Amino acid sequence: MNQPQGKTDSGVVIGALIGTAVLVAIGALLLVDSTGRGGSGLSDAYELDAVKMARFDPNLIACHEVEPAIATGFARSRALTLDGEGRLYIAGDKAVHVLSAEGTLERVIAVSGEPRCVAVSSEGRIYVGLRNRVEVFDAAGERLAAWEPLGDRSFLSSILVAGDSVFVADAGNAVVQRYDKTGKAINRIGEKDPTRDIPGFLVPSPYFDLALAPDGLLRVVSPGRTRVEAYTFDGDLEFAWGENSIRIHGFCGCCNPVNIAMLPDGRYVTAEKGLIRVKIYDADGTFQSVVAGPDQLVEGGAARVFENAEDAEASGFDVAVDAAGRIFVLDTIENKVRVFVENQKGRSE
Amino acid sequence: MVQRNDDVTRRRFLRDGLWGACLAGIGGVAGYAAHKSQRTDWVWQIDPYKCIACGNCATYCVLEESAVKCTHVHAICGYCKICFGFFDPEPYQINEGAENQMCPTGAIRRKYVEDPYYEYTIDEPLCNGCGKCVKGCNAFGNGSLFLQVRHDLCVNCNQCAIAAACPSQAFRRAPADHPYLLKSVDHA
Repeated sequence: MNQPQGKTDSGVVIGALIGTAVLVAIGALLLVDSTGRGGSGLSDAYELDAVKMARFDPNLIACHEVEPAIATGFARSRALTLDGEGRLYIAGDKAVHVLSAEGTLERVIAVSGEPRCVAVSSEGRIYVGLRNRVEVFDAAGERLAAWEPLGDRSFLSSILVAGDSVFVADAGNAVVQRYDKTGKAINRIGEKDPTRDIPGFLVPSPYFDLALAPDGLLRVVSPGRTRVEAYTFDGDLEFAWGENSIRIHGFCGCCNPVNIAMLPDGRYVTAEKGLIRVKIYDADGTFQSVVAGPDQLVEGGAARVFENAEDAEASGFDVAVDAAGRIFVLDTIENKVRVFVENQKGRSE
Repeated sequence: MVQRNDDVTRRRFLRDGLWGACLAGIGGVAGYAAHKSQRTDWVWQIDPYKCIACGNCATYCVLEESAVKCTHVHAICGYCKICFGFFDPEPYQINEGAENQMCPTGAIRRKYVEDPYYEYTIDEPLCNGCGKCVKGCNAFGNGSLFLQVRHDLCVNCNQCAIAAACPSQAFRRAPADHPYLLKSVDHA
């Protein structure tokens, strides 16, 4: 039967419609970003640019790294200290690893919980701070004592042996507790006391470090004030320094520096979290140079820490210094110790 | 016509029918009860430890206003004076002036508690789930700010558009009776 002229075959119309629908569907699949790879489409106002914040003049880097890095052997490293002979004592997981100056594992000291900090006395006794108590070991790793636990609120974050005293930084209570070597409490340092012009430490996160300076005074970080405070052993505040700034001369964020160490000549080595930077300040607290910045310290640079909550949590690197002035950085993300030497010293060696 | 003995009488039909209905009813009730006791409804949620605060939550939700909002767990917060979830990285001054704030929509409120502590709360209707504050708090602070799907807003699509666009696979199904994945104080 012949098709009447001027009329269209309904099959052709249906075919055209199906063809159009298929083309539209393919176009939609190609144009619509269903995987998120195209980004959010938000303006720059919504961008927190870690790379831009981490930028500083590379000429300020005054150290070079001595390869290779030393593996800690831990899944979660937490703290580092050195003894007078250059041995490394690294606290992590549920143990303290003792390594020779060359990085060879000499001893594993099992601890009853997760160690948060470690210190070594001149006699070789090892003081380990757990969440709310201190355990003492001899050089062979035998446990000598376990001190009376502090309260539930306590969170020990740093420990230091100086003379006959042991100083324990309690981040939970924002105070430094001074003990004798038997664990008998002597006095508390840094509690808010307007009559002594002591503002009290401000410790928003579990980072609260202290060190002994060559001048015989304690240096304690008040991270929430982004400054370092100097105290006598009796708890008198002598002076403080530090400025909050994202720029390289200051301490960035809400609570930095997270850790400090003293160079033999009285200068400071500081470590910051967030923007992971290790820097040197002179004895007056004036910024001097950079040991290493985020690009040197973190594979993936600053952006990695900003985009990963787990890495951000682990970004509180610890620092220690040996008698020769070499700077040891405990990388708590990759669980290794990296050694840096100031360039002038490196050339003279 | 010969009548067979097994023919269905009206009385028998009614009796058997009643029994059948009773058994079906009991079975139905038992089945419904068993189904109800075992059934789990699932909803979409963000794992805060996987989230990278990329910003996609703000724009990929099918709703005009994203169902993802910033959440603040005060138990983790340090009540910092200088909060990097609140302040611009280079603030002009440390106060609540709009020019000093990092949040593009001004969705975080800062309130003085006592020297030197400040409390931060989320003004949810203003929050678009961009996650800028989350990045700042994660990197510098305690990570007490993080993104969550708010189930008073979410329509629980079978295939969540944000989940499909999440580059870190942080979206997952959570049981409806525990719909939020909150950070805990002891995680670190």
